[in-house]
Amino acid sequence: MKFAQGIRVRCHDADALVALLREWDAGQATTDVMGYIGTRLMADRDDPGSYLILAEFAEVDGDLTSAEEAERNNQREETERWAAKLRSLVEGEPEWIHFDELYRTGITGDLRTG
Amino acid sequence: MHEEQPHDSFERSLLIARGIATAVAPDGGLEPVQASLLGAVTDALTDHHIDFSTLEPLGPDELAAVLAADSAESRRRVVHHMVLGELILRPVPPDVARRVALYAGALEIDDQFVRVARRYAQGAFGLAWLDLHRSGFAEHWEMARMDQLKTSVRLEHQLAAGVEDRELAERWAAFEHLPPGTLGRGVWDMYRGRGFGLPGSIGGASAYLAQHDFVHVIADYGTNLNGELEVFSLIGRADPDPKGFAWLATLVGLFETGYVADAGFFIGDLKERRLDRPEMHVRIADALRRGRNLCDRLGTDLLEIDYHDFAERPIDESRVELGFDDKSARAVAAGSPGAFDLAGMSQIQQKYNATLEPSS
Repeated sequence: MKFAQGIRVRCHDADALVALLREWDAGQATTDVMGYIGTRLMADRDDPGSYLILAEFAEVDGDLTSAEEAERNNQREETERWAAKLRSLVEGEPEWIHFDELYRTGITGDLRTG
Repeated sequence: MHEEQPHDSFERSLLIARGIATAVAPDGGLEPVQASLLGAVTDALTDHHIDFSTLEPLGPDELAAVLAADSAESRRRVVHHMVLGELILRPVPPDVARRVALYAGALEIDDQFVRVARRYAQGAFGLAWLDLHRSGFAEHWEMARMDQLKTSVRLEHQLAAGVEDRELAERWAAFEHLPPGTLGRGVWDMYRGRGFGLPGSIGGASAYLAQHDFVHVIADYGTNLNGELEVFSLIGRADPDPKGFAWLATLVGLFETGYVADAGFFIGDLKERRLDRPEMHVRIADALRRGRNLCDRLGTDLLEIDYHDFAERPIDESRVELGFDDKSARAVAAGSPGAFDLAGMSQIQQKYNATLEPSS
């Protein structure tokens, strides 16, 4: 089962958010395979300036769940540095929300990860 | 794909094949498409015919013992042979991706393509593409010299579409006036016959990617997607840097599995499966053989060669001087068309070609 970590923020500089996520992905792409598998940044049409960052996680070797992989990711210094940069870009404190994935179009069965 | 040479014994090739097959077999056993492709590659590279569908297992430590005296590069090529066997699966089963990583570890090979396949198995396709792009292409791009490419315009990245560059376009347009049979004229004829925009013109290939069109003509490969698979199999394997495998990995992702949606100038196309035919396995395997032999003779990334120096010379002479082997009889029998055969063109290219007056 995949896991998604949502981060709801208010920000007036979407380009800076995109740049921050690009920088993160560039760093993750050439490291060893970990639980993090990608991010989406969504802009709220009904609430300009409100954004949802949706970071997805999956299992790696089957010894940790995807949610546990996300928790392990949270503990990394690299992640803490990224979170500090995020806080410097947004208004107020980000809201963190957590989701287990129950369904995804086209995917069946209990996906385990590589 | 791996460093086995024709003089390798059948027994050694068989052991390597058993290791590869064990590493990449899904739960139900090796898929027919895997057995066919892996067998064709072994056949082309070693001249040993091995039926991958009937092999006994061979564990990672046993395979490591077989390859103990081999160089790291040779072991890496074996790992790439495995990765090719898993990249054609859709989806890549996580167990297979983990097992290949285990075998790579036993061979003491830390390889970015093993990691890319693990990301596919994880469903991390965007991250996998970033990984493939950064690990496989970025360094090569930095090495490609602008003077060699005859352009003064720096591209955003190596797979980007071309940008306007009048001087470059004029240089390519001048190929029209070279005698028939020369490399420059051959490339110009290929562009004209398919309606391709010349490098340097809007919509044309970049100076960097246009390099591969010289290889189409010299190696005599068509320009439909099957031809692109052949030409980039050859180019990737001819590269002395094993990162050249990125080309084949990318094109399989674009044109077969869909793991890569968009690679800049190349856009994914999954209208038909290309690698479910044994004939294509033979053709790709032969391109890998030709690439392997070029790697041994030339030792240069084919995309870093200054083909403009060869433009006025006959294609055959360029082919010999650079050390290109002919296609094998098996590849020809499997239907590998030449650069100027209609069968080597896509339907759109054929339609365009039918509207043309013969050139002088």
